[in-house]
Amino acid sequence: MKKENSSHLLERLEVQAESEIKLAIGVFQNLSADVMLQPSSKVGWSIAQCLEHLNSYGRFYLPHIKSALEKHKHSKPKVFFTSGWLGNYFTNMMSPNSGKHYKAFKNHIPTTTLDPASVVAEFIAQQELLLTYLEEAKKINIGEVKIPVSIAPWVKLKLGDVFQFLMAHNERHIAQAKRNLP
Amino acid sequence: MPQHLDKSLEQLKELVCSIHSFSKEEWEEFSALWKPHSAKRKEILTHPGEVERYLYFVVEGIQRVVYMDEQGREATLVFTYAPSFGGVLDSMLEGVSSHYFYETLSPSAFLRVSISDLQKQGQHLKAIESLIQKGLVGALSGVLERLVEVQCYSSEERFRSLLKRSPHILQRVPHKYLANYLGIDATNFSKLLNKVKL
Repeated sequence: MKKENSSHLLERLEVQAESEIKLAIGVFQNLSADVMLQPSSKVGWSIAQCLEHLNSYGRFYLPHIKSALEKHKHSKPKVFFTSGWLGNYFTNMMSPNSGKHYKAFKNHIPTTTLDPASVVAEFIAQQELLLTYLEEAKKINIGEVKIPVSIAPWVKLKLGDVFQFLMAHNERHIAQAKRNLP
Repeated sequence: MPQHLDKSLEQLKELVCSIHSFSKEEWEEFSALWKPHSAKRKEILTHPGEVERYLYFVVEGIQRVVYMDEQGREATLVFTYAPSFGGVLDSMLEGVSSHYFYETLSPSAFLRVSISDLQKQGQHLKAIESLIQKGLVGALSGVLERLVEVQCYSSEERFRSLLKRSPHILQRVPHKYLANYLGIDATNFSKLLNKVKL
């Protein structure tokens, strides 16, 4: 299975999170409500819906990540992190290059009645938290800490895999949102 | 990177000398104390309860001094960005615990000087004492002006005044921090934003 230097992994995910926050601050939060709510010309989600979809994942995962970091703060970091097969599967599935189109799971489908300003605000707040969690995770063993999966909470993934698939998922839907920019 | 450091020191010199003029020798001695420092987004540089150990000079990025309490109240007191000084000023100069956080709101780069180094050098370099005195008066002036704004201006006037001082701030800082600075909630901020954009 894929093996990567833990610090490098967390660092590259931080770089990605940073660029997404920057985009949200510089562009998304300054768009008019009309542009934010405009459905994709190709029959798909608006920018607001893309971000709200990401928010729904954050609402589940961020509190779990926070309590896991707190609970395991005495664990020692390992130099290398190896993905689990399921974590790796989810990450590849979420990646924007997977070429596949998936229907969102029921509890992650964004409604059409959204307040764009609060959707972007929540996205930014979540990404700020994620950034600080990625930094904190450098001090613990991200292979040992386990997080439940939102669509199947009896399944647990390594924290390192959760970070990876969340960021792959972010990348996918941010790319989708950007396609809606005027 | 030396070139980058030179440019930052040039900017620091410009700011310092606009407050109090340093001779060439005084500047050489003073500038040697400043060291580069960088921080990521949402990094806390100073916590309440800690004594502020550094005077910062902002080279890149935006930061804020913020008050937060157990009742969930939050007050963004000031934004700092290049080229200006940063840090919790009263804690720094008095050597007492800070009441506030000093945190980054974006990836940031600074030059900073440790207060103990500054005080040591200040014992024979009188220019430092003058710089601090004059700098303090400038900071106090700013605080009084802001008090006037807070008591007399409408939220729209304060919003426009903020945009006048910092025209790009809407694209550089999450709006929630701007709303907090202006003392208004997110809904009112959105309304003002739409009004001002027209």
